[in-house]
Amino acid sequence: MNAPGIKEPTEAIARARAGDAEAWGQLYREHAPAIFRFCRRALPMREDAEDATMEIFMKLKDKLVQYDTTRSFSAWLYKVAANHCWDMLRRRKIRQDKETGDLENVPLEHPDPSQLDQLIEQRTSEEVRKALDKLGGRARMALVMRYYSDMSYDEIADALGVRRAFVGVVLLRARHELRQALEGNAALAAGGAS
Amino acid sequence: MSEGQKENRKHLDEMTVLLYIERQLDRARGLEVSAHTQECDACRTLLRALERESRLLTRAMLEEDEPLPSRLAQFQERARKSMQWIWGMVFGLAATGVYAFYTEYIELWQQQLEQAGFGGTNLLGLLIYQGTMWKGWQSMMTLLEVLAMVTLAGLGAMFFRRRIRRGSALALVFAGFCTVLAMPTGTSATEMRHEERLTIAKDEVIHSDLYAAGGRIRVEGTVEGDLVVAGGDIEISGHVLGDVLSTSGNLRVIGKVDGSVRSYAGNLLVKGTVGRNVMIAGGDVNIDRDAKIGGSLTSFAGHESIDGHVGRDILAMGGQVTITGDIQGSAKIRSGELIIDSTARIGGPIDFKSDNPPQVSPEAKLASPVHYEKLKHRDDYRTVHYYIWQVIWAAAYILFGLVLFALMPKFSEDAVKAAERYGAAAGLGVLVGFGVPIAACIACVTVVGLFVGLATLSLWYGALYYGAVIIGAVIGQWLMGRTSELWPLIGRMTVGLVILRLCTIIPHVGPWVKYGAAFWGIGAISLVVYRRLQPMIAPSMPATPYSPPMPPNTTVGGPLPA
Repeated sequence: MNAPGIKEPTEAIARARAGDAEAWGQLYREHAPAIFRFCRRALPMREDAEDATMEIFMKLKDKLVQYDTTRSFSAWLYKVAANHCWDMLRRRKIRQDKETGDLENVPLEHPDPSQLDQLIEQRTSEEVRKALDKLGGRARMALVMRYYSDMSYDEIADALGVRRAFVGVVLLRARHELRQALEGNAALAAGGAS
Repeated sequence: MSEGQKENRKHLDEMTVLLYIERQLDRARGLEVSAHTQECDACRTLLRALERESRLLTRAMLEEDEPLPSRLAQFQERARKSMQWIWGMVFGLAATGVYAFYTEYIELWQQQLEQAGFGGTNLLGLLIYQGTMWKGWQSMMTLLEVLAMVTLAGLGAMFFRRRIRRGSALALVFAGFCTVLAMPTGTSATEMRHEERLTIAKDEVIHSDLYAAGGRIRVEGTVEGDLVVAGGDIEISGHVLGDVLSTSGNLRVIGKVDGSVRSYAGNLLVKGTVGRNVMIAGGDVNIDRDAKIGGSLTSFAGHESIDGHVGRDILAMGGQVTITGDIQGSAKIRSGELIIDSTARIGGPIDFKSDNPPQVSPEAKLASPVHYEKLKHRDDYRTVHYYIWQVIWAAAYILFGLVLFALMPKFSEDAVKAAERYGAAAGLGVLVGFGVPIAACIACVTVVGLFVGLATLSLWYGALYYGAVIIGAVIGQWLMGRTSELWPLIGRMTVGLVILRLCTIIPHVGPWVKYGAAFWGIGAISLVVYRRLQPMIAPSMPATPYSPPMPPNTTVGGPLPA
């Protein structure tokens, strides 16, 4: 897993681990935009995302020695970023979604497929990003980890501290929340236009 | 239909379909789902909808809708380390400047004021905060403390910005200041009155502080606390046991004030007794023959006549000062004219700075002859002292700019860009530069508006300096090219400010450059503020939407796992 358009910077990683500031700068330049976008999607405030990006890279400098070079650097980087963002959200107690216990009882609804298809078809990326802002911390984190950084269910379970079996439920619930938010946006837009 | 076909017709739940497209089902279950969706229209539609939703989510997240913020673009550990010594140097320089300024001017001035009878308090408290509303401050405030507090507030905001919202940090600092300002001062009971014609009758006693506002105010009774009063025409013929703080068209103090009088008035007459000090700013100030001021008199007035008794020293600045009364202490006067009449008695030394020599009656009883010093209207370019001060001022500007650019990088960058819209920035600069202080002074006429007016004036004053910093950055960009990154912009600001300061010391032209830059800059700041107050319009999507490549292993339907 790489950030889009970025090759594995094996040599730079090795040099950065040896304390080469130039190599560290290269790693930062190559990965900071992707990590900032990850944080921007995962955290509700832009300033949070900026701070988180800086903190992640500060943390990374210490953690770089722990990185297993046989694995994808981007994947590892996203894991660090995900853990950091989730920690931030937890610290600020802005998780508003339900806990794991409730997830077990989530009803597996069968939405009207044609209505769902219509709802999705009419939405733009911009609207989705706005709707994401309205989601609870866990729903948002789950979607970002899955659809931005392409993390596996195991990695998501690990980052969110839920059992692997519930990751699907978390993602499904997040999608439901997103649809509600999208419908809310549409209703608002219609209200504003009238 | 066979039993198996019926079973096949049972619709798949959404969870199963989602896990299928996410490749999370085992092979056998995946094949079942695949077969089902081949035959069932509803489930196939659901599958397509979920796939489309996945694609939409991925596209929405991967789209580069905003660039990397400049502070992140700058952020590299090496750069951070290299900046540490710059911060250290700048703060060191600033501390040196502040210390030099304090020892060179403030301390001397303070000593002079103490000699003039203002001992026991400090300069800032004396000049500004000694009024009734600022008692909590008066024992603790010195100019250095203010500077230290402002610096701490700035550093605090920078520190907390990493932990809480940027706006919240500023709000916290501001709220802290407001809380300190609003802290009660012991005898905190207060009575508020607001009437067009307000009279505190002769036999009436106010057992607390009194805040009064109105067109015509008469205080004939007794106020046991402080009197804070704003109005068109005010007369105090009763007894105020505390201090008087007033802003008015006309103020007459005929009765007795046990504390001090601080006043801004078009015309001021003191005919009664003031137990402590009088500090006044106004057009015409008349200390009547019957007046008795126990402490000192500090005045800034167009015309000033001192005919009564002043127990300690006087400090007077204005157009014309006439002394016919009795001053027990010394006199420091800087005015267009000074007339000391035959009936005058002055017990201490008299320092007078003016373009014109004083007119002193030979019959006047003076402890010593008037020490007259003709004013110099030109800076002394030949002394080293002058150039040291220019360096200190330049360093202070750079420090100020550095702090503001670091605290508000985006705002500063926008202001620099706005300043390059020369016509709009200069035009708005003239409008705001002249309009805001006038509006603030008008606001000061009312009690409520007094705080708003003073706050606005403070902001306006700070914005003048910030404006010069912005123009420094513009000049720097002219010379070194444009940049949108923070530290290069600060570098350009530093270069530009040095050039700007050099221009301001050119005789005759310098002041025009100085105020021109400040007004131009304030116009640019106003433009940015104006834009930020406008409602945001959602950015339109680009004509050709960006289609990012799907990240590897993002599974949207497709073949089943092997």
